[in-house]
Amino acid sequence: MKTILLLEDLPEIRAWLRKLVLQVFPGAVISESARVQDAIELVKAVKFELALVDLGLPDGSGVDVVKQLRDSQPDAQSVVVTIHDDDEHLFPALQAGAFGYILKEQPRELITEQLQRISQGEPPLSPSIARRVMAYFSAKAKPQANPHNAMPNVSLTDRESEVLLRVAKGYTLPEIGVQLGLSRHTIADYVKQIYRKLNVSSRAEAALEAQRMGLFR
Amino acid sequence: MIPTWPFLRLLYAVALALGLTLWPAAAAASAQMLHIRSAQVTHGGGPVPHLGEPGATVTLPDDWSDSRPGYAGVVNYRVEFEPSSPLQSGDLLALYITHVCSNLEVFLNGQLVHGGGRMVEPVTHNCNHPQLVSLPSALIGPGSNTLDIRVTGHRLAEVGSQQRDGGLSALAIGPMSELAVQHARRTALQVSAPQAVSATLLLMGGFMFVMGFINRRESHLAYFGALSVGWAIVDARLWLRTLPVSHSVAEFLLCSMLGFITWAAVQFLLRYAGSRQRWVDLALPMQCALLPLSLVLAGPARLHWVANVWYAVLALQVLAAAVWHLWREGHRRSVWLMATMLLTVVVAGTIEFAAQWGGTRPLAAHLAELALPVVFVLVGLRLVQQQGRALHHAEQGKARLEQRVREATAEIERNFRQMSELRVEQVTERERKRIAADLHDDLGAKLLTIVHTSDSERISTLAREALEEMRLSVRGLTGKAVRLADALGDWRAEVVSRLGQAGIECEWQAPEDLPQRLSSRAYVQTTRILREATSNIIKHSKAARCDIRCSINDGDLQFVLQDDGEGISAEVEGRLDQGHGLASMKNRAKQLQGQCLVESGAGQGTVIRLTVPLDRAIEAS
Repeated sequence: MKTILLLEDLPEIRAWLRKLVLQVFPGAVISESARVQDAIELVKAVKFELALVDLGLPDGSGVDVVKQLRDSQPDAQSVVVTIHDDDEHLFPALQAGAFGYILKEQPRELITEQLQRISQGEPPLSPSIARRVMAYFSAKAKPQANPHNAMPNVSLTDRESEVLLRVAKGYTLPEIGVQLGLSRHTIADYVKQIYRKLNVSSRAEAALEAQRMGLFR
Repeated sequence: MIPTWPFLRLLYAVALALGLTLWPAAAAASAQMLHIRSAQVTHGGGPVPHLGEPGATVTLPDDWSDSRPGYAGVVNYRVEFEPSSPLQSGDLLALYITHVCSNLEVFLNGQLVHGGGRMVEPVTHNCNHPQLVSLPSALIGPGSNTLDIRVTGHRLAEVGSQQRDGGLSALAIGPMSELAVQHARRTALQVSAPQAVSATLLLMGGFMFVMGFINRRESHLAYFGALSVGWAIVDARLWLRTLPVSHSVAEFLLCSMLGFITWAAVQFLLRYAGSRQRWVDLALPMQCALLPLSLVLAGPARLHWVANVWYAVLALQVLAAAVWHLWREGHRRSVWLMATMLLTVVVAGTIEFAAQWGGTRPLAAHLAELALPVVFVLVGLRLVQQQGRALHHAEQGKARLEQRVREATAEIERNFRQMSELRVEQVTERERKRIAADLHDDLGAKLLTIVHTSDSERISTLAREALEEMRLSVRGLTGKAVRLADALGDWRAEVVSRLGQAGIECEWQAPEDLPQRLSSRAYVQTTRILREATSNIIKHSKAARCDIRCSINDGDLQFVLQDDGEGISAEVEGRLDQGHGLASMKNRAKQLQGQCLVESGAGQGTVIRLTVPLDRAIEAS
């Protein structure tokens, strides 16, 4: 029995999503919320396995809920469900620990399939997100101006970079699997690793930033 | 740094010219010249022509301070002479007296032949004027002739300088032509030159005083001006014969002037070295008041003694100031010029001082007397030169400053323009973001609701497409230029995955690592065209395979989409145009100054050729 958090402010969409989730995970216990604050309270009280989080909410951004989940329930899987398909909105959520994203307007079948894939550990990765991730890690690889920067050295392996580069060029994951002579499963593992490293690195960065703010306060 | 050579050359030229004109040629020893070195004297003014009985014989030159100390009044000198030989025709016989003080009258055989001015107070001062008296032939007898010279003079104690003490130099009687030359030389040296230099000094001094007075930072100029003017006034005694005041008053005023001159000189030397001492500022004016007071207290009878004490005191002050000035300015390269000037002044002053005790004035004393104002003129010229150069520098500096100000102004204007442009950009960007957010939150939410609540699949699809359109529009609104390589990645991912999901085999060929950029508008429009074309292939073509080739030709981005489907027959094209969106594809391409061609025939598949000019696409950003 799966416990699922559903954060969505539009009632119709929330109802529609609930139906869809119940199809994918029959018998799941779904906690619904329309506001960021309520969702955070829920996360503090209830243990979730999966969270479907909208980004643009009346009282704030769903990213805060993703962060709260990551910090208090590291095993829970956050998935962003949004109408924003651009990396400017998605990337911060992925950095905060979201494991994949789903565009809300897609047909039911497609969303169902994506949700299943994500829960099986195969998150989607668009070219623009791949480019953002590449840019993020290559900027980190540069020598740091601050010598006291004790960042944990999270970097991508050559294979992971290779996969990212090909995604950025527009190749689909099955195509990349064929090109590199790897199974679809292995490719999915690389993508998962990329998500994880992005999150770990961003988290360390955030912690360091918080520490720095504390020092300077 | 400071080109002193031209100035030095000027200095030499002046000295040379002075020497040439004023150096008295060694008097040609003429046989006809009669030098008289003794005379009989009687004292007191007797009736003319009976000048009293001949008295004691004195040698000439006769300095009253030696021969009759304390005497003031009239002394008659009688000389007997015989014209030695006949003169050349047309020449006159003349008497030449180099020095007589203060005034004289000359009688030949009892007849008055020359009067130098007033013989009673205020007495005319002829002390510095050599006298040339023509002796009329008619009055000269063949044998012995009597020459009476009445001299009025003052006692040494009453005059400030030995030079103005009563006395008579040796006499010379000879041809007018020869003596006139000597007279002219001496007049030039003792009268004309001091006159000219004094006038120069007065003019220059006045000018510099005004200059220094206006510009208080250049106060040394004012003091130098005062010094020059003061010296010009003191020097006026050399050529000014008659004063409207009595002898004692004139002497008193003359001595008092020296206090002011010292004040000006010392202050000039201090200020020129850039120093200002408050106690000096106070002490010098007080001394100026003290000097005349002491003269008044001592009385006219002790004037000479008191004045000489003051001369020493004042000279020492000026000397001290000069030494201090040189010590302060010693580091400057141009200091030697001032040092030369000051040395000249010291030498001239020493000669002048020595001459006070040496009876009749030697030529050196006259030259020294002349050298002082000349040095002042030279120093004045030097100051004017410096001032002029400073002015020149200041003007250059001003021009440079103006240039810098102009540049800075231009820079500021440029920055301001950039800032306002930036600001406009920022405001626009913020506004775009706000509109985008509004669209997403409002329109997006409503469209989304329609997508998932409509019972009609057609309406759902339409709403979904409208949502995608909205997203693209927003992207075109907020987006920045996109790298063409990134755009190709996005397009490939979408087209290939969609065709793949529809079960259509797909071959995508595109160049890699393209450096070009695409405006967000061109990116969005091209995305729509490709999306529409893909939709058409999926929905209508029934194709099994699709080849997509992308290339860059002559600055154009070209897409060729070729499928192996049913193709579009002419009548179908006309009928289904709206549904296929072919018109909108063509329209969008036209908006980008490009074109979209559709080649198709029933059963032949379809070829879509899309051309987008890259340069204009970038311009549009």
